[in-house]
Amino acid sequence: MDFDFSPIADNWRFLGYGLLVTVQLSLATIAAATVLGIGLALGRLYGRSWLRIPLTFYVDSMRAIPVLVVLVWTFFAFPLLTGVSLPPFWAALAALTLHIAAYVSEILRAGLSSIRPGQVRAARALGMSGPQIVRKILFPQAVVRMLPAYGSLLSVTIKDTAIASVIAVPELMRQSDTISAQSFRPIEVFTTAMLVYFLILFPVTRLVDAFYRRVAHLGRS
Amino acid sequence: MTLDWSIIWQHRGDLAHGVLLTVALSVLTMAIAVPGGVAVMLMRQSPLRPLSWVGTVFVEFFRNVPLILLVYWAFYVLPILADVQFSAFATGLMALCLNVSAYNAETFRAGVNSIRKGQMEAAMAMGMSRSQAMRKVILPQAVRRILPVVASTWVSLFKDTSLVSVIAVGELAHTALQIRSQSFRVLEMLTAMAAIYWALGYPQAKLVDWIHRKYGVTE
Repeated sequence: MDFDFSPIADNWRFLGYGLLVTVQLSLATIAAATVLGIGLALGRLYGRSWLRIPLTFYVDSMRAIPVLVVLVWTFFAFPLLTGVSLPPFWAALAALTLHIAAYVSEILRAGLSSIRPGQVRAARALGMSGPQIVRKILFPQAVVRMLPAYGSLLSVTIKDTAIASVIAVPELMRQSDTISAQSFRPIEVFTTAMLVYFLILFPVTRLVDAFYRRVAHLGRS
Repeated sequence: MTLDWSIIWQHRGDLAHGVLLTVALSVLTMAIAVPGGVAVMLMRQSPLRPLSWVGTVFVEFFRNVPLILLVYWAFYVLPILADVQFSAFATGLMALCLNVSAYNAETFRAGVNSIRKGQMEAAMAMGMSRSQAMRKVILPQAVRRILPVVASTWVSLFKDTSLVSVIAVGELAHTALQIRSQSFRVLEMLTAMAAIYWALGYPQAKLVDWIHRKYGVTE
């Protein structure tokens, strides 16, 4: 068995572009999902019941459906239903955001509910309003407490962007697939892609953990 | 736009077969990945340096690569490395097992380590052997902490089986996508696929929440 890594060296621009798309899609997804997830969590915890029930249903449904299904549906079925067809990147961004936001909201909700009710009572006794309590007492502590879970979600997001290859988003997985088919060197190309993903994902989880260890004391009460 | 939902009923047999394969894949993977996870955990805890190193590399590597890439990799690389042609189902099963074993190993390790060291010392001071202490004191408590996490892993696994559709394992996602491309009933088939996954996954997600509430450790 002989290995030939030259297809990777020859096509490094093509693969590098894939890596760039992977990074862009991951960052855009996590940013959008965080914003949407905060909205979902606040709506579920402090919203009226007519809001709470559909939001709970939405979050639980997203946790029950594979991300592949959401991606494929957004790309192929959504345009038929509405007449609006999204380019692959934007369809992937929308689908991944809808999916990851549900997890962000669950993590944030767990963080917010983990703070002792005595703190809320104390803040009320000091004359703070509801939004003030959330902003100044609950949120700062919850954000620290949710860091480890948020870190693993970050790594899940990056891994899930690889699934966007099925709707032809030109990210690292898709580009590697193309090169492997052209060069007939699947072992070399896919092994390299795996190592690249590992080299991105491993430091991400480690960095978030290291950061959490430094700030963990801020979340204790 | 005219919709023809009867396409789903026409293909009920194929879809049911897909569901069966999805469930079979999940069950088989978990059945292999629980002992697999224990083995990897024991390797990782082993006093032999090379062995523990292998365990650590296994866990860190397979938790930090996308599963869909692992599926592709297994599809192209395993037949060449092992010199045997595996069926698509076996290949998908292997990729899922590698991934879930790594997660399970980490879950088990965290569960056992979460029991304070003092308990092992106390048990040995009472005259128990190390294995007795493990069996009678540590494990019964660790299992309660491990169970909710394994339940979450199960739900993830159930959804992740959809990824082996890329190597043409005929489970639910692949079956539905095939029917879609043959019948051109895209909206109907994709919605049906989502609905079937939802109907199967939603009760599981709720059950897992319940297990977390019942057994979850609150500090």
